[in-house]
Amino acid sequence: MTGHISDEAALYALGSLSDEERAAVEAHVQACSSCAALLGAAEQDVAFVASMEPQHDAPPLLAGRIARTLDRRSTRQWQPFAALAAAFVIGLLPSAYFWQQNQSLHSAMSAQTAAIQRVASTPHRMAHFRGMNDRGSASVMYAPDGSWYVVLVRDVSKSLEVAWMHDGEKTMLGTAQAHDGVAMLYLPRSHRMDQLALMDGARTVAVADLSY
Amino acid sequence: MRRRAAFSEHDMPAPSDDEALAIAFAAHDRTAFDRAYRAYAGLLYSAAYNVLGNGQEAQDCVHDALVRIWRSPQAYSPARGTLRSFLVVCVRNEAISRRRRHGRRMQMEERLAAQPPEHDQLPDSDPIERDRVRSALAGLPVEQRVPLELAYYQDKTHREIASELRQPLGTVKSRIALGLRKLAQALQPAAQADRR
Repeated sequence: MTGHISDEAALYALGSLSDEERAAVEAHVQACSSCAALLGAAEQDVAFVASMEPQHDAPPLLAGRIARTLDRRSTRQWQPFAALAAAFVIGLLPSAYFWQQNQSLHSAMSAQTAAIQRVASTPHRMAHFRGMNDRGSASVMYAPDGSWYVVLVRDVSKSLEVAWMHDGEKTMLGTAQAHDGVAMLYLPRSHRMDQLALMDGARTVAVADLSY
Repeated sequence: MRRRAAFSEHDMPAPSDDEALAIAFAAHDRTAFDRAYRAYAGLLYSAAYNVLGNGQEAQDCVHDALVRIWRSPQAYSPARGTLRSFLVVCVRNEAISRRRRHGRRMQMEERLAAQPPEHDQLPDSDPIERDRVRSALAGLPVEQRVPLELAYYQDKTHREIASELRQPLGTVKSRIALGLRKLAQALQPAAQADRR
């Protein structure tokens, strides 16, 4: 697919596209927010009609079956970490290094949980980063009083630094850690920031202008 | 996204529970997956069952669709719309693909007539709702209704519909899209009135 979707949104939502056409729409909407919204509207229409058809309870055992499949994969994902732990036990890694990695992981998990709780409980605003191009999409949700910010980057394979642009200078705020294609950074702050940048090393990848 | 149309990008209210769940799901929070399943399991299973007409196949369909979604974290973004709609369409598309792979072309009524229901229908799935859909469909112009019914109830691709109706592909596509919008618009006021 080379252009934006139009009637294809309804055809996708109805299941009237071939597998190849469906894949092309999915690839396009991941990089195009306007087409994603169009597709979302068509999906809402189809889901609404589907909800008016006969409804059945899902079999009770299905939830466990899905969970077991997902957990099996999770176990495989943790195998490298298990190997790392084993290496630690036999003394191949300095204890200080492992402590730092553990602290980073713990901090990232805590920050993500705090971010979700923040977003869920308070009014917020949103701005999109310009210049992501084929690097996925990125946005920042933030409190109207500048007390917190959540930077969310999708479809990324590497972590990106987040910087505050002000008075011709950049102040590095932290790293949006990539995990399974999604990078996130929660920033508790005490002041309003007008412009944020995503950095790949010293290079500015994308910029978002925030209004209050 | 239709639900957010009343708000500007910079004037968003506190997100609802559904929106918070969608954000957490997009951030690949496993507890969000579990909450989403609990919230939408019946709807997702029903969407699969109503296409496939078989309980075991519907279970396989929901399982495969949800596992695939979870293994593709970039698949869902709140920019795309509600998580509920996204999941329903994903499961329904998986069910349709399965039907196509199996080469089945039985119409909905034929399937239901051929096989006794495997489940008791829930109280809110009474025939009135289906009649409402049929009535709304009947209210569409025939040139929109026929291709829309072929797409929704017979799982035909737009190319198959264009061939069957001997109409240009572009015409069929635009009529299906217009018919779907009109159908949803016709159904929503009645549904909203029922909930009040």
